[in-house]
Amino acid sequence: MIIEYAWLIPFIPLMAFIIVGLFGKKTKGGLGSVAIIGALLAFVLSLLVSYEYLTDAAYADHLPYVLDLEWLSIGSVTLNFGIYIDSLTCLMMVFSSFISMLIFVYSVGYMKDQGQKKRRYFAEVSLFLAAMLGLVMASNFLEMFIFWEIVGVCSYLLIGFWSFEHPEGDEAADNAAKAAKKAFLVTRLGDVMIMAGLFVLLYVFGSLDYTTLFDVANIDAVMNQDPNMIMLASLLLFGGVIGKSAQFPLHDWLPDAMAGPTTVSALIHAATMVKAGVYLVARSYPLFIQSADVMLFVAVIGGVTALFAATMALNNMNIKRVLAYSTISQLGYMIMALGAGGYLIASAVGVESAMGYTSGVFHMMNHAFFKALLFLCAGSVIHAVGTEDMRRMGGLRKKMPITSITMLIGSLSIAGFPLLSGFWSKDLILEAVFAGYNGVDPVNYVFLLLFIMGIITAFMTAFYMFRMWYMTFGGRTAGPATEHAHESPKSMTVPLLILAVCAIISGYALFVGLNDLITFNEIGGVYVVGGLGHSAASILEDILTNIWTYVSVAVALIGIILAYFMYSRRSEKTRGSQDREHGFLYNMLTARYGFPKLYDGIALAGGYGIAKGVDYVDRQVIDGTVNGISNAIVGGSESMRRMQTGYVRNYAGFVIVGVILLVAVLCAVFYFIGGGL
Amino acid sequence: MSLFSWILPENIPWLTLLLIIPLIGAMITLVMKGRNAKYVAGGFSLVTMILSFMLFLFVDDLSTMSENIAWIDVMGVKISYALGIDGLSLLMVGLTGLLVFLVTVFSTEKERPNLFFAMLLIMEVGLMGVYMAQDYFLFYVMWEVTLIPMYFMISWFGGPRRHYASIKFFIYTHVASLIMLIGIFAMVFQAGALSGGTADFSFAAVSAAAGGFTEMFQILVFGLLFFGFAVKMPVVPFHTWLPDAHVEAPTAGSVLLAAVMLKMGSYGIIRVCIENFQLGAEWWQPVMIVIALVSILYGAWACIAQKDLKKMVAFSSISHMGMVLLGIAMLSEWGLMFAMFQMFAHGLITAVLFMVCGITGHNVGTREIPLLGGLAGKMPKYAGFMVFGFLASLGLPGLVGFVAEFGIMYSFYEYLAGVDMIYLIALVLLSLMLTAGYYMWAMQRTIFGRETKKVDLSEVKDTNRAETAVLVVLCALIVLFGVMPSLVTDVLGSAAVLGVLP
Repeated sequence: MIIEYAWLIPFIPLMAFIIVGLFGKKTKGGLGSVAIIGALLAFVLSLLVSYEYLTDAAYADHLPYVLDLEWLSIGSVTLNFGIYIDSLTCLMMVFSSFISMLIFVYSVGYMKDQGQKKRRYFAEVSLFLAAMLGLVMASNFLEMFIFWEIVGVCSYLLIGFWSFEHPEGDEAADNAAKAAKKAFLVTRLGDVMIMAGLFVLLYVFGSLDYTTLFDVANIDAVMNQDPNMIMLASLLLFGGVIGKSAQFPLHDWLPDAMAGPTTVSALIHAATMVKAGVYLVARSYPLFIQSADVMLFVAVIGGVTALFAATMALNNMNIKRVLAYSTISQLGYMIMALGAGGYLIASAVGVESAMGYTSGVFHMMNHAFFKALLFLCAGSVIHAVGTEDMRRMGGLRKKMPITSITMLIGSLSIAGFPLLSGFWSKDLILEAVFAGYNGVDPVNYVFLLLFIMGIITAFMTAFYMFRMWYMTFGGRTAGPATEHAHESPKSMTVPLLILAVCAIISGYALFVGLNDLITFNEIGGVYVVGGLGHSAASILEDILTNIWTYVSVAVALIGIILAYFMYSRRSEKTRGSQDREHGFLYNMLTARYGFPKLYDGIALAGGYGIAKGVDYVDRQVIDGTVNGISNAIVGGSESMRRMQTGYVRNYAGFVIVGVILLVAVLCAVFYFIGGGL
Repeated sequence: MSLFSWILPENIPWLTLLLIIPLIGAMITLVMKGRNAKYVAGGFSLVTMILSFMLFLFVDDLSTMSENIAWIDVMGVKISYALGIDGLSLLMVGLTGLLVFLVTVFSTEKERPNLFFAMLLIMEVGLMGVYMAQDYFLFYVMWEVTLIPMYFMISWFGGPRRHYASIKFFIYTHVASLIMLIGIFAMVFQAGALSGGTADFSFAAVSAAAGGFTEMFQILVFGLLFFGFAVKMPVVPFHTWLPDAHVEAPTAGSVLLAAVMLKMGSYGIIRVCIENFQLGAEWWQPVMIVIALVSILYGAWACIAQKDLKKMVAFSSISHMGMVLLGIAMLSEWGLMFAMFQMFAHGLITAVLFMVCGITGHNVGTREIPLLGGLAGKMPKYAGFMVFGFLASLGLPGLVGFVAEFGIMYSFYEYLAGVDMIYLIALVLLSLMLTAGYYMWAMQRTIFGRETKKVDLSEVKDTNRAETAVLVVLCALIVLFGVMPSLVTDVLGSAAVLGVLP
């Protein structure tokens, strides 16, 4: 019964964090090996636990394995700390630990010349993984929130990894410090909303355990009392998702977070952090589906984010930022899919409804593989050329063959090129969104609009990914920074190759059982993940016979071809086009639609502005009154100055005045009370 | 024979020892010279600390520890030397014992160390006395005893404006405690009148008679006592003595002031006001909530504007003590339990914060945030403690502050749901954002970013061994109680006040 040892899965990376933190200083490699072994053990154990959960007859009805310990018990409320394993947890912990392990291996090469800082790096990434695993295995919302915040802190520390003693100088150090702060504060805004959501749930349910909250009878009881409370809680939880998964309008921290090492970006974008938000929506599905309006809102936020973020990737010159925007955009896809599926369930539409859930979670897994791959490839390029500016790259195809081919695979996959992993999940998502339009009665035109936005996003995704690929690897002429570039060491290329294989084949998991594991059902009065989903054959048939599949493939191909003509044959001259006059649209994209300014403005007005006012009131009004009263009592500023000299004889006056006043007050009070009795 | 009677035999007055050991220590320290003063004071505070921890570990029934000796009994006035502990007292006694020892280890006072460490020990006597007293007269005497060493600590060992700050501290809090004294007299004599003539100052006698207080009397006397305690906490707008006192006080003074002395205020509100005046508390409840919310938000905003790191931390104390008051004002089991939890949590966390501030001033030479920057490169250990302390203070889950804040905010939510105004929870949540904001911003400007050129950092040193050890102990406790909060709530479960709640 290996499942009983599942608590070791987050515990082992936590131990790795402690060991690296305590003993990493003396070693040359900063104990990277310990971090890798920690992740490896967590991965192996995740596999074993998942295998047992998925094969053991005891869990054949998809009920979770739950182990709870009492954490805190006050009055009638008991808060637990435990683990909750169902197929969603299995999927999350397997791919998180697997990808993290590969990233750690890659980091050994990538962070080679970081000296003493390696200890800090490997300690923090181990904690990051431990927190993420704890998050997905938590058995209640409070525990989930605890790990959710620790994930946030780890990202703060890692984004700010170079916030002092930056190898590229002071300017970069300042930027890293700012980016880390921004990431923490923006996601924190979402986090406090989750906290409010927890209060609402705890109040109406009297518990935060998943097992209690996902019980149909309990939900119905609460809905009968006040249907708005679950809706409110869902929206508040979704506020946290908007922060963590960088959805519109709290998306702007993620591009800035590129100030950290590239491996950290890979971790944040693929294995941890931003995936936590999507996971939370999938996990809280039983609550979210109680209201179609909530689900519509979720889908709209997702769709808007997908399109909106994709536009900003179109003209960005920084290789990592292009990837950052693409992550935001892809996360939008996932959220949109979950929203569309939930909308159908909430509108009481039967079998079609499972598609949204399946496709959203499925895309999260596929995205984890190809996004980790893309970031690590980008890291390999940056490692070789020493810059993130794509205008200074070009023609790297020959010098870095492995990187260029693996990155091509990643780009094709994210662009939805047929038969690669991204193709399957993206088409399922679009189908789910389309079902949101024509699957309900009357038809909902919002979903038609979202569907069109999804198609446009698919086109833009293909375009900007290949723009990036051609600018980096394509072209006959090499960019100015590529002279000494060469392929990265084995510790970096091997993870790339493994991830590239995953990016090709992970989509086929859908046809070997994933369709029945990652679906949403109500079995025996409990909402569970798993159960009968769309059959593999029907999914295949749906995708291949659907006209929209061919449309989305076609727009993706057009995007790739357009990028080829615009960027592959570019010479040195047109490449360096930063001095050219740009149109309004171009500048607006560069300014990120003014969001950074908006955030700063809010912080300046609501934080610093009011703070200045408070400070003024404090000094002049409140403290002024205090000093004024004391001056009046001791007779003007002259005695005040003498008072400050500190001689004891001056205090005598004080004490006398004080005593007289007090006796007067005393008499008055006693007189008053005496009268009142 | 239980384990307890082997380790702590019953016929020895253990609680009195908690007062006498530091008192003797203070007298001996006074005549010591040079570094010996520190070692002697350290020895005595260590013994006191161990003794206070033994109460935690080996006492099954806290009520068996109480001591009661008649002291004055003339002309219808009865005053006794009565000591006793319940869950809340025990927690504060343990915190006092721990922190006095730790600041003794932490401090390296070169000038007149004998006076410095003697003051620390006398302060410990007063603090222990306040938290253990079971007689209002004794309580008041001990309350005043804490005032004097703190006054001298600031005015002898403080910064440039120490005289102004120390006098302000002394007069402000002294006036407040005199008003509190009026409240105590009113309460005791009224209780005496109700129960047959003898004005008995003991807690037990007053509680027994408290049921007979009229509502009008309760409202008035609650107000007097509340004012006395609230100034000590402090709450806005009676807080201005605190930032001044903190800025000028030496690190050891600041730590004890913020970590245990401020708690005397909230302790008093719980022990005296809430326990005895249920009707008064209900009448004052809206006022307390408003004051608490104002303190929380006002303190947080004031932090953002501060340039002195230590003054920022001082204002953060006001904000966090507002949280304590909010919990108390809920008058519910959750609220009070987590208010007490927050007193303990804030005690541990704020000690780290003030020590970090002390190291900044001591090692770098200035605490002005605009002059600092990029210190993490030169002082990695210091930066680590600062990050940890700030994260703990902004309520990071997994650390002790989160448990307290979560509990208080949830009890506030419960209250709001009762009166159908749940949207007001946004005010408290806003304070969480502001708190995260000022800490993050402060870190960005002090330890991160480019290394400052405005201060000469060539000679700057990281934390020394003693400082590191002390901070590690505190951080470990912050993690321990954050991960296992039931260690604290189990102790608090025996707090007497939870028994009198409706």
